[in-house]
Amino acid sequence: MLDRFTKTALVLLVVITAIILIIAYLGYIGDQGKMKGIGPIVEKHAASTVANVAPVSLVPAITDLVGKFWGFTIAGIVAGFIVGYLWTGLFRRREDA
Amino acid sequence: MHISDGILAPEWCLVWFAIAIPFIAVGVWQIKRGTKENASYLPMLAMMGAVVFVISVWHIPVPVSGSCSHPIGTPMSAIIVGPFPTVVLGAIALFFQAFFGHGGLTTLGANVVSMGIVGTFSGYLLYVLLRKVNLPLWLAAGMAGFVGAVLCYLTTALQLALSLNPGSVLSHWAIYTVGYMPTQLPLAVAEFVFTVGIVQYIADRRPDLLAKKLWGGVSSA
Repeated sequence: MLDRFTKTALVLLVVITAIILIIAYLGYIGDQGKMKGIGPIVEKHAASTVANVAPVSLVPAITDLVGKFWGFTIAGIVAGFIVGYLWTGLFRRREDA
Repeated sequence: MHISDGILAPEWCLVWFAIAIPFIAVGVWQIKRGTKENASYLPMLAMMGAVVFVISVWHIPVPVSGSCSHPIGTPMSAIIVGPFPTVVLGAIALFFQAFFGHGGLTTLGANVVSMGIVGTFSGYLLYVLLRKVNLPLWLAAGMAGFVGAVLCYLTTALQLALSLNPGSVLSHWAIYTVGYMPTQLPLAVAEFVFTVGIVQYIADRRPDLLAKKLWGGVSSA
């Protein structure tokens, strides 16, 4: 059986995911599929105000090798397992005691 | 707020590193002390590190601006594990994010200052101030998240203007800020919401885990 917190967390997860998907879809339609990150947009504009300044990559990016989708998916899964494991240890133990 | 390599002038990269390093040193010292005093401190730090990494790299689309960006997570972390240790967590997260095409190594100091120091301390100090005037926990935590996120991007805009446009810093600071805000303000509202949710949850279930000292990160029962 799921406890109250787990139920609430699952419902919140579904609601938040639904909200993000809806606004992503609206943004995708509104901007004809571009939806670029605001950081690189402002950075590129700032660099254009000066000659010979442009973003460069000094380190190999994982996302260049496997693509953004898989790179961030793997990072999210790893971080999610770390958070889930530690969260359980920190909070479940006290509830069970 | 992830400034890439090649954007900032080398002297400005050094300046931001010089500002960031003392904060990181104090944070490392507090983490060492905290792990000795409280067994729950290290797992909480590790969890916050993973949370800050994910929150500050995952782009959320903002339809009103037609672009996407991310919250920062450091104000929430500062309330939970303390501000100086959060600077260390922010630095580690930003280092790894450079390998995901976000930020850079030469600009790590600048990014630590904006997200790790300004975002952290502005949010945390506002939280402490609002709690001292007896505002409810949820409002103080939420405002910390909101203000921390906004000030982080104001700092990034200032860093760009100082390095790239030294002759017209104020006007370019304003221009870059105007560029960020349509996307960042809705995300600052999101930062308000999840900061409230997580801090309130921990306060209800494990209040002993919240950082209690103004300049420390040690959660004492």
